[in-house]
Amino acid sequence: MNVPRQTGEIFELLSKGQFICSNSSDSHISKLCEILDDSENFEILYEYFYSINFILEKGDEYYNFSRKNESKADLERKLETACKWIDIVDFFKTFDNAFASGYSFSPARIAVEISVQAVLKNKADGLKSVLKMDEKTPYQEVANKIVELLCKEGFAEIENEILKSFKVLSSFKYLEELINNINIPEEVKHEIPE
Amino acid sequence: MNHFNSIRELLNTLSRGHKLLAEMFEQRKSLHYRYELALELMDGNEDVIKLLLSKNIIRQNGSLLELDDNFLKFFEEILEVNEEINTSYINENIRQVKDEYMLYFLQATTDSERFKYLKAVKSALRKIGRITMRNIVDLNRNIENAFKTEPTYKIKLSKLENYKLKLEAIQQMIVQSEKLLNEDALTFFKTATDEELKYIKTELILDLTESRQNLIETRKQIIEYINQVKYQSKFIEKLRQLKYLRDQFEIKHKTNIIEVLSKTHSLAFEAKPFYSLKLSLESLQQEDIRKIIKKVINNYHTGISPRKFVAENLSAVDLKVETEKEIHINLYEVKRNFKTSGKHLFDYINEYEFPREVSFAERVTIYCQMISIFEDEFVISENFELQDKIEYALVYPK
Repeated sequence: MNVPRQTGEIFELLSKGQFICSNSSDSHISKLCEILDDSENFEILYEYFYSINFILEKGDEYYNFSRKNESKADLERKLETACKWIDIVDFFKTFDNAFASGYSFSPARIAVEISVQAVLKNKADGLKSVLKMDEKTPYQEVANKIVELLCKEGFAEIENEILKSFKVLSSFKYLEELINNINIPEEVKHEIPE
Repeated sequence: MNHFNSIRELLNTLSRGHKLLAEMFEQRKSLHYRYELALELMDGNEDVIKLLLSKNIIRQNGSLLELDDNFLKFFEEILEVNEEINTSYINENIRQVKDEYMLYFLQATTDSERFKYLKAVKSALRKIGRITMRNIVDLNRNIENAFKTEPTYKIKLSKLENYKLKLEAIQQMIVQSEKLLNEDALTFFKTATDEELKYIKTELILDLTESRQNLIETRKQIIEYINQVKYQSKFIEKLRQLKYLRDQFEIKHKTNIIEVLSKTHSLAFEAKPFYSLKLSLESLQQEDIRKIIKKVINNYHTGISPRKFVAENLSAVDLKVETEKEIHINLYEVKRNFKTSGKHLFDYINEYEFPREVSFAERVTIYCQMISIFEDEFVISENFELQDKIEYALVYPK
C-alpha cells in the first residue's frame, strides 16, 4: 500500500487530538487537507490508520481521529470536557451570535464586550472557575486565556500576529454537531425558562 | 401642490441648490442633517436654502433638514440606487399596457392616435425589462445584506422570508409579462407592425428569460440562507437550554449526553498525549548539539557547579624533543631477494640479515606474515621440516 508522503504529519497532528481544517490559513495544513480531500488518498489513509486502531473521521470540512476501541478517556473526563466546551461555545455565542467557522475576532474585542455586556461578564466569571483561574483575574487576561484554550484545542488559530486577530476553524462545527446531537426530552424543555 | 411654473424653473432651482442637494443625497442614510451644516456648506448663503425650502425640495424639521420624499425617490430611481423592490409598479404597468394602451390602439381610428398609444406601449415594455432586471439585482444585494449584516436573528429571518415573498412576486411578474407578450396581446402585435416594437419585444423576451434564470440562483441562495439562519437560531436555542441544564447540574440526568459521549471515541476528548523518547547518545556527541546542551544547562539552576580540573603547566623538560628510533622491517624488501636466493622461505628468513637483531621467534612471525601477505606469489609445498620444535612447510617462490 502506497501511503501519501505526508502521512506522518497527518498522524502527528491527528493523534494529538487536533483537527485538520480546510479553512486554516496555514498553507501547510490546508495542503494536508487537500490530500485528505482526495477520496483515493482518504481511503488509503483510512485503511492505514484503521490497522493501527485509529478511525480517520471526515467531518464538515475537517478531519479528526477517533479510536476503534474504547476511548482512553473515561466517561467522567469526557463529561467534564463536554461541559467545558458547552460553557465556551455558549460564551462565544453570547459574545456574537455569528461566532462560527470562518469568524474573525480578537481577545481585545472580547474584553471590551465583557465590560459592556453584563451577561457576557457573568459568563466570563463563570468560566474563571471552569478554567481554574483566580477570581481577581482581569477580564483581558480571561479573554486571552479562553482564546488560547480555543486555539490549543484546535478550534481557532491566529490570523494576524500584529493585530492579534484570530479565526475560527471549521473544526468548530465539531462542537456544534456535538451539541446538536445531545437530545433534550420535550418535558425537560418545558421546565427550562425562556 | 405644485410650486413650479415650468420645467425650466425646476431645473434652475435644482441647479442652484445642487451642492446642498448632492450633499444631502449622499447622507440620506444618516438620520440627521443639521441646518447649521447646510449653512456652512453654502458659505452662509441662506437664500438658496430658503428657496429650496419654499419650493418643498427640502423640508425643515426643527433644526434638522431632510430631502423631500418625492425628490429623494426621483433621484434614487434615476441613479438606480434605491433598495426597495417594488413589484406593484410593474404589475400596474402590465395592466395598463394590456387593458388600456393596447385596447385603445386597436380601437383608435386615426393614425396619429394609434401612434400615440403605440409609443406608450413601447415605453412601458422597455420599462418592464429594465425594472425587472433592476429588481433582481436589488433583491440579490438586499438578501446578501440582510444575511450578512443584520445582527438580530429574528429580524434577519423575517427579512429573508419577506425577500422570498418578493422573489415569488417577481417571478409571478415575469410570468405575467411573458404571458402578455406571447398569448394575451397576439392581436396587438399582429396589428401593430412597427419595427422598433418588434425589436423591443425581442429584447424584453430575452431580458425576461435571463431574469428567470437569475431567479433560480437567487431562490437557491435565499433558501440556503433561511436554512442557515434557522439552523443557527435553533442551535442557539439548544445551546441556551443545555447551558441552563449544565448550570443547574442536571445535564447528566436530564439529557442523553452520557449516551452520546459513550458512543464517541474521539481523540479530542483525551488528554494530549506526550511521547517521550530517550535521547540518542550518539547524536548527543555531535558538535552542533553542544550548543543546545549549553542552552538547556542555562535553564537549569541546580546550584551545582561542576569543578573544573586544570592541568599543570608543562615544564621545560616536557617540551624537549625526544626522538625514538624504530627500525622497520620491510617485508617487500625481504621478498625481493627471496626469488634469487634459491632457498626455501624458512631457511631464507632464518639466515637473512635484517637491519637489526631479530630473534628466532620474530623470524617465525615474519615467516608467517610473508606467507599470508604474498600467498599468491609463493608455492606452498606439501613437505614439512622441523627445527627447534617448529614444524614448517617448505615455501618457494613461483
